[in-house]
Amino acid sequence: MRSAPSLAPDRERLPVTVLTGYLGSGKTTLLNRILTHEHGLKVAVIVNEFGEVGIDNQLVIDADEEIFEMNNGCICCTVRGDLIRIIGNLMKRRDRFDHLVIETTGLADPAPVIQTFFVDEDLRDQLRLDAVVTLVDLRHVEQHWDSEEVQEQLAFADVLLLNKTDLVEAEALEAIRQRTRAINPLARVIPTCRADAAMDQILGVGAFELERALAIDPEFLASDHDHEHDDAVSSVAFIEARPMSYKKLGEWIDRLVSERGPDLFRMKGILQFEGESHRYVFQSVHMLIDSARDRPWRADEAPRTDFVIIGRDLDEPALRAAFEACVA
Amino acid sequence: MAPPQALVQERLCGTCGNAITAQAWSADGEFLAMATAGGELLLLDFRAGCEELLRGERDSSLDVLGFSPDGRFLMAAGQGGELLLWEMGGTGVRPMAFDPVPLQAGWLDAAAWRPQGALLALGAGRRVRLWDGDARALREESQELERTVLSVAWSRDGQRLAAASHGEVLLWRPDDPGDLPQRCATGSAGVALGWSDQGTLLASGQLDGSLMLWPDGAAGRGWQFSGFPGKVRSLAWCDQPGRLAPLLAVASTDIAVIWSQQDRGAKGWKPEPLVLHEGRVNAVAFAPGSSLLASASSDGTVALWDGRGRLQQLLEGDGQAITCLSWRPDGRHLVAGGDQGQWWLWPVTLPPSVRSRPQPSRPPRSGGFAP
Repeated sequence: MRSAPSLAPDRERLPVTVLTGYLGSGKTTLLNRILTHEHGLKVAVIVNEFGEVGIDNQLVIDADEEIFEMNNGCICCTVRGDLIRIIGNLMKRRDRFDHLVIETTGLADPAPVIQTFFVDEDLRDQLRLDAVVTLVDLRHVEQHWDSEEVQEQLAFADVLLLNKTDLVEAEALEAIRQRTRAINPLARVIPTCRADAAMDQILGVGAFELERALAIDPEFLASDHDHEHDDAVSSVAFIEARPMSYKKLGEWIDRLVSERGPDLFRMKGILQFEGESHRYVFQSVHMLIDSARDRPWRADEAPRTDFVIIGRDLDEPALRAAFEACVA
Repeated sequence: MAPPQALVQERLCGTCGNAITAQAWSADGEFLAMATAGGELLLLDFRAGCEELLRGERDSSLDVLGFSPDGRFLMAAGQGGELLLWEMGGTGVRPMAFDPVPLQAGWLDAAAWRPQGALLALGAGRRVRLWDGDARALREESQELERTVLSVAWSRDGQRLAAASHGEVLLWRPDDPGDLPQRCATGSAGVALGWSDQGTLLASGQLDGSLMLWPDGAAGRGWQFSGFPGKVRSLAWCDQPGRLAPLLAVASTDIAVIWSQQDRGAKGWKPEPLVLHEGRVNAVAFAPGSSLLASASSDGTVALWDGRGRLQQLLEGDGQAITCLSWRPDGRHLVAGGDQGQWWLWPVTLPPSVRSRPQPSRPPRSGGFAP
């Protein structure tokens, strides 16, 4: 399933930040910081547990999480019905705010929230996903690391706040950083204390803009990262200097997504095709695929393909072989 | 073909401070109310020729409003999660506000008065609550659905109530507590619900880009018409009987479609797409007493069509998206509201190609509001 591109230019669409994190990871602290910070933005917030936000703000709106299965209950086609309704109403007040933040419950799967902004025609035209910001409770994350929710929240993140640095030793922080890296090498990792990340690292990130450079953590590529934890969710990254075949790669991605869609959380790629002067950019969320012909390769850069898959039960050798078979 | 004669020659207009979200006429056509995304509620009293702001601007939107058919009450609800009610005092008298009724169910945007008397059905989270104008109170009993109520609709005779949510439409008789609700399964969420005037057909516009139709007083199996370009966000039945069924208009993305039943069964329904608008069609409505259809679009226009889908006239505002529209019960005046707070009131002459029952037309007086 390809998501139809929005017709509205990016700058006219309202940016949306999705805030995830397990219970007690500091979402409310971060929300309160966003609402009180002098960043000059009027922020509307949709929360799932009313009353937690201690700020008297007329633009805090309660929504009851409600999953709509759009197509035979497949995870790839689920959206948040409550967001469609509430944001639909809220957008009539568009002039009242500049940015929308959606707080998910600690146990929420971020996928339906993200998919809502690609699947619903009204939201797609009026809003654009800015970033998924996931908070990690450094003190307690080890205890519930194996929960599906925690792994999904890590996998979908564009920005990972490793929070409560004041409560753990440097070695523990480093160990958790390594482990989150193995799951998600794309996210920007920021250690924080009381969720004190700089606002410009949280709002206005533009992580879902296709053109944004794919930033794979170099450490991830360099290290033959350990598999000692054997998390169900992991990632693979491929870098290929030889040009790819447009036809082969396209067919492989289509096949992969149709066979493994529910297990593939996010994919991103910058692609170099045979006989193409321009680079191509690509991203997906489960079965939703978004791709475009981007700018020409610059003289000062070596054309190559960077491709990252974040998913569940990934068979790295098999995926690597299939990817390499797409070389032109 | 000669250009059709202009149906609209003049208009009234005015401005609110925020996007207009809903408009409603009283049954006698003497009052018009408008709600905005800034929480304003404006009441126009045509006989007295004055307008009154029943509720000023505040930081929470109003999204649904309506007069009880007996003319006694005006209701409004929205972001605040409270049911707001006024008792109408007649022309020239300021309506009296009731204490707001808290529902504790988040944003309220689905409500409908029973076509007779003063009984209001209100979607409140997963429940449908009833506010009884005779008792002036919410009834204790409520109908619970498995998912959030997205739309409610009464049958014309006021006997049956329908509520749409994700996956089903629930039907029941509120006057008969022993009646077991009937469940009509749908594949997605119903966002627009409407009974035909004769009560034989129930239609639901669905989020998944389909239209559901249940024949025989919704006793029969539902028909599903798929393939709309987007969600079916608005629908309206014509109150004039057709050979087999009245006309049904629906809106999806930037097109409106008139459906007519030309043969029995699901296959007998034929769509006539009305392709003209260059932006989302937000609302469709047939003029009471005729088959003249109005469609309101984000492209800033309102189009008037005859029952066969022929364009009669294109009305332009001032460029702002038209968010809602409402026909005066006389079927000769149309009001529309814009997303920047502008409203327009057009007197409409019925074209010869539109079937209609004769009806005396009394124009609303324009005392207080010059264009």
